[in-house]
Amino acid sequence: MDHGGVSCSNPVEAATLMDYWLALLPSTDEDAIEEHLMTCDACGNRLRQVISLSESLRTLARSGSLTVVVSDRFVKHAAETGLRVREYAPARGESIQCTVAADDDMLVARLAVGLTTASRVDLSWCEPRGVEHQRMADIPIDAGAGSVICQQSITWAKASPTMTLTARLLEVNETGEEHLLGEYTFNHTRTIPGPPGWE
Amino acid sequence: MYVGLSDADLAPRIADGDSEAEAEMCRRMGPRIRLYGLRHLRSSSAADDLVQQVLLKVIEALRAARLRESDKLAHFVLGTCRMVVVELRRSSHRQEALLAKFGGDLIPEASPTPTLDDRQLARCVQTLKERERSVVVMTFYDEHTAAETARSLGISEANVRVIRHRAMAQLRDCLGVTL
Repeated sequence: MDHGGVSCSNPVEAATLMDYWLALLPSTDEDAIEEHLMTCDACGNRLRQVISLSESLRTLARSGSLTVVVSDRFVKHAAETGLRVREYAPARGESIQCTVAADDDMLVARLAVGLTTASRVDLSWCEPRGVEHQRMADIPIDAGAGSVICQQSITWAKASPTMTLTARLLEVNETGEEHLLGEYTFNHTRTIPGPPGWE
Repeated sequence: MYVGLSDADLAPRIADGDSEAEAEMCRRMGPRIRLYGLRHLRSSSAADDLVQQVLLKVIEALRAARLRESDKLAHFVLGTCRMVVVELRRSSHRQEALLAKFGGDLIPEASPTPTLDDRQLARCVQTLKERERSVVVMTFYDEHTAAETARSLGISEANVRVIRHRAMAQLRDCLGVTL
């Protein structure tokens, strides 16, 4: 394997390099990788690519621009590290008023739900007429948590016009049948000055 | 002339006072030490400090012919890295006098850092499955351990590892990054 003009006959696997960078390897494996890296510039160049990807992912994860299911600890940590987190926590069946400010860093919906028996849960975002805007299939769920926490893209929310979106948590069984676990309506009012990104 | 020499060939030359061999050793080892520093110190400036301090110690040892087995140069450098990182963690005291004397000569040119298209990366991350995206975001946001991520998402630690590896492979494919 050739990287940056140098080659390695026994390259470290990409996944192992990532685990090394994330400090997830057992110490004996880590020692072996470090011995190799101290003699191998090809794998060193590959590690630089891993670092670059890792740093870009960290920046992206911290940007609040992704729509993703996260944990309570994640949200708390974001607030503790100085991010301005706007959070809405509707009860099942509740319709709430919401907005986003220009200086918000993260937008989070905490959807209260009992998940003790569900194996697969989808989160469906629908427009008022029932048209599905986005489906997040087979989201990770913590049965004991009592809620699903979804980070909505702050970039999208800041560009959004005044609008209503309904979140539906759906249990999906093996045959594809859906059972509604909870429905939550967000009446978003645009308060950021200037025109929205779309009408 | 020195580029083709092995690490083992460099050590005795440095002991004989060959400054070109010293320069070649620094050119070769500097970027490797810096990677070690980035991994363990998580800071570019701290990694640069580590490079200087380790090279100072290694040069001192080689000039004094204290490295008995010259083919162990890389191992010796790694051992010195580990020792200096422990020292750095124990105290923020820097070897300023030594660095003032030798520092300028001991900073290797930083190896070019590959750059990624951030927009493309965001698009690629959005194509991941929900569990994969959650694991990736929580892993990289503040470097959650697999155990923390597993607890948070109600899945096993082994599953977190499998999901993370699969997601990273997919992201590399999506970005066209060959490793």
